[in-house]
Amino acid sequence: MAACTLYSTQCFNTISSTPSSKTHLGFHQRQVVFYTTTNNKRSSNKRSGNNNTGRYVITCAAGDTVVIGLAADSGCGKSTFMRRLTSVFGGAAEPPKGGNPDSNTLISDTTTVICLDDYHSLDRTGRKEKGVTALDPRANDFDLMYEQVKALKEGIAVEKPIYNHVTGLLDPPEVIKPPKILVIEGLHPMFDARVRDLLDFSIYLDISNEVKFAWKIQRDMAERGHSLESIKASIEARKPDFDAYIDPQKQYADAVIEVLPTQLIPDDNEGKILRVRLIQKEGIKHFSPVYLFDDGSTISWIPCGRKLTCSYPGIKFFYGPDTYFGNEVSVVEMDGQFDRLDELIYVESHLSNLSTKFYGEVTQQMLKHADFPGSNNGTGLFQTIVGLKIRDLYEQIITSKAETPVGAAKA
Amino acid sequence: MTTISTMTLSSPTRVIAKGVQTPLKTQTIKCSPIFKLNKRWPGLIGSGRSSSIQPVRAAPDKISEKVEKSIKDAEETCTDNPTSNECAAAWDEVEELSAAASHARDKKKDSDPLENYCKDNPETDECRTYDN
Repeated sequence: MAACTLYSTQCFNTISSTPSSKTHLGFHQRQVVFYTTTNNKRSSNKRSGNNNTGRYVITCAAGDTVVIGLAADSGCGKSTFMRRLTSVFGGAAEPPKGGNPDSNTLISDTTTVICLDDYHSLDRTGRKEKGVTALDPRANDFDLMYEQVKALKEGIAVEKPIYNHVTGLLDPPEVIKPPKILVIEGLHPMFDARVRDLLDFSIYLDISNEVKFAWKIQRDMAERGHSLESIKASIEARKPDFDAYIDPQKQYADAVIEVLPTQLIPDDNEGKILRVRLIQKEGIKHFSPVYLFDDGSTISWIPCGRKLTCSYPGIKFFYGPDTYFGNEVSVVEMDGQFDRLDELIYVESHLSNLSTKFYGEVTQQMLKHADFPGSNNGTGLFQTIVGLKIRDLYEQIITSKAETPVGAAKA
Repeated sequence: MTTISTMTLSSPTRVIAKGVQTPLKTQTIKCSPIFKLNKRWPGLIGSGRSSSIQPVRAAPDKISEKVEKSIKDAEETCTDNPTSNECAAAWDEVEELSAAASHARDKKKDSDPLENYCKDNPETDECRTYDN
């Protein structure tokens, strides 16, 4: 992949590519220099206060960035998932060097993760004045999100705004170069149809209310000022907007990780033991779902016994076909948790289509990050598996593009 | 394979580079502004010990105060009308700050000052590593 960029950073306009760029870039993969003097009225300049400046972009790239979308509510494990995902790709993901210390971006050799909060059109004060939550589409600039994700996908660097979660303000933008894999994570990666169409794969983390409550207690109870009441009030006050704008996105996801209270203990709502379901869409290009024992069958499996030690309440797996929002899916489910993480190898050896590069890779990844939340249950297991599936998807896409360069350029 | 060469133009006036005519090579040319708030631009600041200019991340304690205040604000906002948009927005701010506080705690937990410094300044003496 080739990438070269020139920008005059006095100005903060969005990069928009000229229509001719793709043809040049895709076909010849030679250096192409083109200028765009953008004066895009709805671009980021209105926020940074740097108006009326033109912008010169010279860029050339092959434009084979694979774009992954990850949707979930705040406090539902996006960060942990990202750490597992980037670990599968190899190399640690770090904030941009020498940049804004409150940047939300993570960069590794292959992957760049951007946080969609950076596309807030209203800052904290603005939302307060208008009575709008961050979940509300009116607080987000989907035009800019679309333009920039599209540009990155085409191999063009962008200057993305930074939403500062500490101050609640929009900071001066940072330059994002087109990576091999771009992950867009946040509240709305599948909300806007244009952005959705740019995604090569999408994931939704669906945390049930009981578990969300339990997780937020764990996260916030130590914080001064918080109480069970405040945690509950916050979840309830945000729920109407969550139900209206965030939750419906799961119908578009290629993979959904559903986190529910266990069924192994009757009437348990402590949220400590979890039943986690990996819902995988069928018929997605470059993605073939993971299965247990026999592809397409319905299987219930309790691995505890002679080969795997399980203390109360044990572990239960399920696998089978289902429909999800009218789509054909296959579901792998794990209820309960592992006593000893290295015993996971026994479970791993019974799962098929994992897209591992060697025997035991899932277990190795889980052991490597045993300190991450959810490493002993289905959340960690399925996050790791989805990471492997995304690596596989990426490799397939790159291979297919290499085989048909002309077709890829047109695509 | 890709060749990336970097040329830094730090002219204060707008730079228009025309025709970078190096066939089969790619180049990165960056023009840095003189000054940007809360931001360190590569190219503007030279290598070495320039970390004194780097802005400091907000301390977790400060965020904790913000969380506490936002909860009080939300409770006040919601006393009149608990289903109002303003009430939802106020509790959304609590959620946002609580998440930020949690991230700040996580970062503090596994951050070592020397490691952090060396990440940005690997070439300095104190960051050298030796193979026997």
